Amino acid sequence: MGKIWRYLRLIGVFAKYSLMSALEYRINFVAGVAVEMGWMVIKLLYVAIIYKAGTDIGILTPDHILLFVGIYMLLTGVYMLYFGNFCSLPGMIQQGELDLYLVKPVSLQFYVTLRRLDFSLLLPEMVAGTAMIVAGWKRAGLPVGLVPVGGFLFYLLCGCLLTYSLFLLPYLISFWTISLGGIADISNALWDFNNMPSLIYGKRLRDLGTYVLPVFVITNFPGLFLMGELSVGSCIWGVAAPVVFFVIARLLWKVSLGKYSSASS
Amino acid sequence: MNQNRCVFLMGVERAMEYRVSFFLSMLSAVFPIVIQITMWNYLYGHGDGAAVFGYEHEQILLYTLLAVIVSQLAGAGFEGEVNSDIKMGGLNKYLVRPVSYKWYQFFSFTGQKVPRFLVAAPVMTGILVVGAWQGLSLSAARILAFLGSLVLAVVLNFCIFYCIGLLGFWLTDVDKLFGTVSIVLTVASGGIFPMDIFGGWVEFVVNLLPFGYTTQFPVNVINGRFGWERICLGTGFQAGWILVFACLGEWMWRQGLKRYVGIGG
Amino acid sequence: MITVEHLQKEFSYYKKATGIQGSLKNLFHREMLTKKAVKDISFSVGRGEMIAFLGPNGAGKTTTLKMLSGILCPTAGKIDIDGFIPWERKNAFKRRISIVMGQKNQLWWDLPASDSFYLNKCIFGVEDGPYRDIVTELSELLDVRELLNVQVRRLSLGERMKMEILAALIHRPDILFLDEPTIGLDILSGQKIREFLKIYNEQWKTTVIITSHHMADIQALCQKAVIINQGRLVYDGRLADINTFLGKRKLIHVKTSSPVAQEEWVSYGQVREMDAAGAVLEVEQDKVRDTLGAILSGLHVEDFTVTEIPLEESIARFYQKEVTPL
Repeated sequence: MGKIWRYLRLIGVFAKYSLMSALEYRINFVAGVAVEMGWMVIKLLYVAIIYKAGTDIGILTPDHILLFVGIYMLLTGVYMLYFGNFCSLPGMIQQGELDLYLVKPVSLQFYVTLRRLDFSLLLPEMVAGTAMIVAGWKRAGLPVGLVPVGGFLFYLLCGCLLTYSLFLLPYLISFWTISLGGIADISNALWDFNNMPSLIYGKRLRDLGTYVLPVFVITNFPGLFLMGELSVGSCIWGVAAPVVFFVIARLLWKVSLGKYSSASS
Repeated sequence: MNQNRCVFLMGVERAMEYRVSFFLSMLSAVFPIVIQITMWNYLYGHGDGAAVFGYEHEQILLYTLLAVIVSQLAGAGFEGEVNSDIKMGGLNKYLVRPVSYKWYQFFSFTGQKVPRFLVAAPVMTGILVVGAWQGLSLSAARILAFLGSLVLAVVLNFCIFYCIGLLGFWLTDVDKLFGTVSIVLTVASGGIFPMDIFGGWVEFVVNLLPFGYTTQFPVNVINGRFGWERICLGTGFQAGWILVFACLGEWMWRQGLKRYVGIGG
Repeated sequence: MITVEHLQKEFSYYKKATGIQGSLKNLFHREMLTKKAVKDISFSVGRGEMIAFLGPNGAGKTTTLKMLSGILCPTAGKIDIDGFIPWERKNAFKRRISIVMGQKNQLWWDLPASDSFYLNKCIFGVEDGPYRDIVTELSELLDVRELLNVQVRRLSLGERMKMEILAALIHRPDILFLDEPTIGLDILSGQKIREFLKIYNEQWKTTVIITSHHMADIQALCQKAVIINQGRLVYDGRLADINTFLGKRKLIHVKTSSPVAQEEWVSYGQVREMDAAGAVLEVEQDKVRDTLGAILSGLHVEDFTVTEIPLEESIARFYQKEVTPL
């Protein structure tokens, strides 16, 4: 318990310092917001097309889809909050910058992956995403109560943990090979599958994205739970997947780190 | 010319350098296509897409497949280099040598296009062959017109981004701005979705602005959406915009250089 | 408290061919090469000692320091630091050591150094009271009291290095590894850091292992030196004994009232320098007395001194592979 408290406190310090650093360069902060808004335009285009077509996707009306894309945006913002750390991992490994963090009595993975938090990317996605969730929720007439709201938030949190674990995996390759630009591109492209509710994809792809590389679990399960469309088995998988993948990421991190300490100069 | 050839070859080599990322970034471009095609298939399968969007089903599929390739081919990315040359004084080495900076950038840019084109060409041919087999009417004249429009698109995009890079003479701290600009321009050029599906004033504006002529126009030449009249008109627009941006670039270069020399580099 | 036995470290890397053919070839096949950075090193350090770890560039100093601090895992050999094996990286071990690398920084670039100190306080779990005391005391010793609230990017290189050292000491480590702490610093900053380290070591009995190319650092701080070259140990002992090890020679500086011919100087010993006013002779230690006697009786001597061979020169001989490994 004390350990968790200590790590939470460190995250608080990281957040504070990141924000303070970012505000030293206000123009960059504004530019960060602008870039993220650019990406948001693309996501909104999908919604615009859905509304223009006015077609339901399975059990989902355009309003539900608005909610789903809202969740996707919100979680994108959360992912982007620490995404920069993933990106700088290859550089840090090549420059030997892990050295100074390796001698600190905290988890290196924790330190290296959550050190810098970029609020300029979180901000627009969070505002727009939340607005879309609320709008979609209302327009689709979804229930408001302790269980639906609580469950929704719980699966959102599970989604955050799963995102972290799943998308850290490709970056671990940088311990083994020099360049991984391509792998990073692929994993980002994979994330974008959530731009549309998983129901739009065929059964085989949906299963693949739910049980093998569970990207769909991240943004679809909170919405499906809210609609009461999440089966008991899926409810369990929605909790298990983040745990399983976190453990995998942790183990692979340790193995990869062994490579660092035996190879770099 | 020999020196330009060398710059050109170095561009080729640079693009080959990273072995994994080279193949994978090509592959990662496939994912958004899968998402979009799935969406179009769904929308056209469950409603009258042609009436809503103004594209036939085959046309929109072909558009989706080709737009990514064309926007990859036309895509820039050297604007950051131009900017840092201005900021860090890298420009000096071009000023004292008998090399023209814009031609250096132009040949380096087109040089890096070659490996992309070598990969893209067979893929594009494959798509077109399948398209023709599915009933797409392809004539030699149309293919020639497409290749012509493609070359003009690359040149136009170079001119646009060259101007954007030269903004570095006047603006400080534009690195992140480039991100925003390139995303917005990708959207505006129809690199994600054809912008004229939204009809009305959006379509009108898109047809007037230069950006659509870097991606949307070439694709609509080959997928059979445009008749010869539109093709001629569009080519005229391409040439006109190239002229405008080339002149703008030349003017910006002169004005900027006065500033640059004035400050003392 | 630190014992190192037969330490070895190998690195493997790829060979990059040049030109476009090379790039194409690299696309499919890469040639692996191995480099032995550390071949066989053994030494030991006692508690509270401050030892110099010397060697030419590429000798394997940094690699060894990294193995000592647990950053790297050796290919073979043993390290024991107070019962810990460094590369197991136990938290209890990490709390007892600290490493400062002159070429790397751990401070947050855009924030005042005090913020980075506070982060280290949280990481190492230092209590509020001791933390305040340490920062106050050390910042005064290092003369950076007024700079604690200035963004690190606005500090000079010397000031930044002082802050790096301060940050590394927040948790009162028992062992401090310093990898070229004075690299690139001006004379004054270097001196200040030396003074600080000396006081700190005396006051807190911290074991310090320091690598540096500045002999001033070494002479001011260390009694003992470990010298390595090409991944092998070439000297391990007291700094003062290096000359003895290399053959007990001394320098005699003589000033004369009238010029003396070179042939005459040569008859007394090996001439290092000479001009109209005098000369510097190199002689074996046990012949100093006789030589001096002969010079004093044979020449019009105004003044003379006997000195050690400069440390720099002795160490340079170790670097030039003139000495066979131990």
